[in-house]
Amino acid sequence: MSIATYTMPLGPVHVALEEPVYFNLTVDGENIKNVELTSGHVHRGMEQLAMQRNLVKNVTLTERVCSLCSNSHSFTYSMVVENALQLEIPERAKYLRVMAEEIKRIASHLFNTAIQAHIAGFKSLFMHVMEVREIMQDVKETVYGNRMNLASNCIGGVKCDVDAELIAYILKQLDVIEPQMREILDIFDSNHIMLTRTKGLGILPPEEAEALGVVGPVARGSGLRKDVRFDSPYAAYPNLDFDLIVEDGCCVHSRTMVRLRELFESVKLIRQCCEQMPEGPVRTHMGKIPVNEAFAHTEAPRGEVAYYIRTNGTELPARLKWRVPSYMNWKALGVMMKGCQIAEVALVLNSIDPCVSCTER
Amino acid sequence: MQDIVKGHPRLIDALSALCAGEEQIRHTTDFYGNGYHWFKLENSSRIKDAAKILKGFRARLIMISAYEDKQLEQIVKELCYHFDVEGVVYNLTVTQNAEWPIVPSITPDFANADWHEREMMELYQIKVTDHPNPKRLFLDETLDAGQLSKAIPLSIMMNGASSKDLWERILEGKEHSA
Repeated sequence: MSIATYTMPLGPVHVALEEPVYFNLTVDGENIKNVELTSGHVHRGMEQLAMQRNLVKNVTLTERVCSLCSNSHSFTYSMVVENALQLEIPERAKYLRVMAEEIKRIASHLFNTAIQAHIAGFKSLFMHVMEVREIMQDVKETVYGNRMNLASNCIGGVKCDVDAELIAYILKQLDVIEPQMREILDIFDSNHIMLTRTKGLGILPPEEAEALGVVGPVARGSGLRKDVRFDSPYAAYPNLDFDLIVEDGCCVHSRTMVRLRELFESVKLIRQCCEQMPEGPVRTHMGKIPVNEAFAHTEAPRGEVAYYIRTNGTELPARLKWRVPSYMNWKALGVMMKGCQIAEVALVLNSIDPCVSCTER
Repeated sequence: MQDIVKGHPRLIDALSALCAGEEQIRHTTDFYGNGYHWFKLENSSRIKDAAKILKGFRARLIMISAYEDKQLEQIVKELCYHFDVEGVVYNLTVTQNAEWPIVPSITPDFANADWHEREMMELYQIKVTDHPNPKRLFLDETLDAGQLSKAIPLSIMMNGASSKDLWERILEGKEHSA
């Protein structure tokens, strides 16, 4: 080891996000040679908790695995229980589930891009994106009564219907937010500061992305055409028209552009849900709980969320296991950060849209 | 539910050959027509062969679920490996028991199995062989392995046992400094 090569601790707090994760960086001068990651600071043993609660109570628990992907967890959990119970949900509920999921996706992607502007030192852009995101936060609060955990999903469908007045409100808010999001996309794609800081940074070649099994915008930013909404369609997605967004730059900028372009696909999906949603009931009753095992996966804002359940005929699950998107994306940081400078670590880290509370459960 | 389950026939045949009999294989769909194939492998060493076959089909490992069950006073551990091939999910279960107490690592074939295997080693005390980096993932090395096998009621956790130990350590430190 040369005199210029040393190990540098970074974290566990405030490395891009206010969640604890600890890095051991091997650096040569300013350049990163190797990355080692230590997590576990907020491990909560939630899977063990889930096995002490009945199937219905676990909807509330799983919604608290993560904040930005909260809806994806209760959604996928409800799906896995429905698969185990062979419970078909009403048609209207499928559309309502997609609507809530896409509203959350817009808010999540805008949050991540805002943080990127914050890390890059572009404070006014950070504040602007967060202000635009407030439009979606208002939608969440108005429609679901909550700004973060929507509590919309339940086993057998959704808890609350959305009436004509609320649909008109959602459509109006989409008309307001869409041009503002277009402006944000243009800034991220043309502003000199943002391009200098993000383009060509944190390269993850497609071969490495595939080998590491990365998911979500991280995979799609490296040219992989992977999206559970397309690969294993669920809820109302098979009936809706939207595009799979892929970028091939393999860098931080590509991952950002995937997220920003996906905002417009989400708007398209919400509009279609508002227009095409059939009338009818929004939930069905749970039947007898059989001895069974089932699997379900969905596309959360950060990528694929997977749930596995074993039921034993009682109201408590014999086993409930889930895997979050961040879990698959952390290891890719070792590839992305090699050759980067220390000052770029936070930007690269943010580009995987990491969630520590998700990862550690 | 649909009668025809999506999937790759050659892959299904190859994985079926690793099971002890037809009754160890199931094919299911959800209400959207997505296919799920379930295989219970003959023994835990078969997962290595299955991983090689799946790699040939460019499978992606989604996750590994560890499961612990008590059968006739004996703890039986099971592992369910979930793989994705072109949107179809292949679930492979292996049992870890007295006859087959270990499971080989599939990290050499699927790099993203690394964290899953390390997690099941520390939380379920699953014995994994040939793992390239078998250190703890979440929990500190000083904690016992198999934490997820234990349910510690909050009343016991907060009955002062831990705080007594804490104060003893503090006092010990104070005596040393004095």
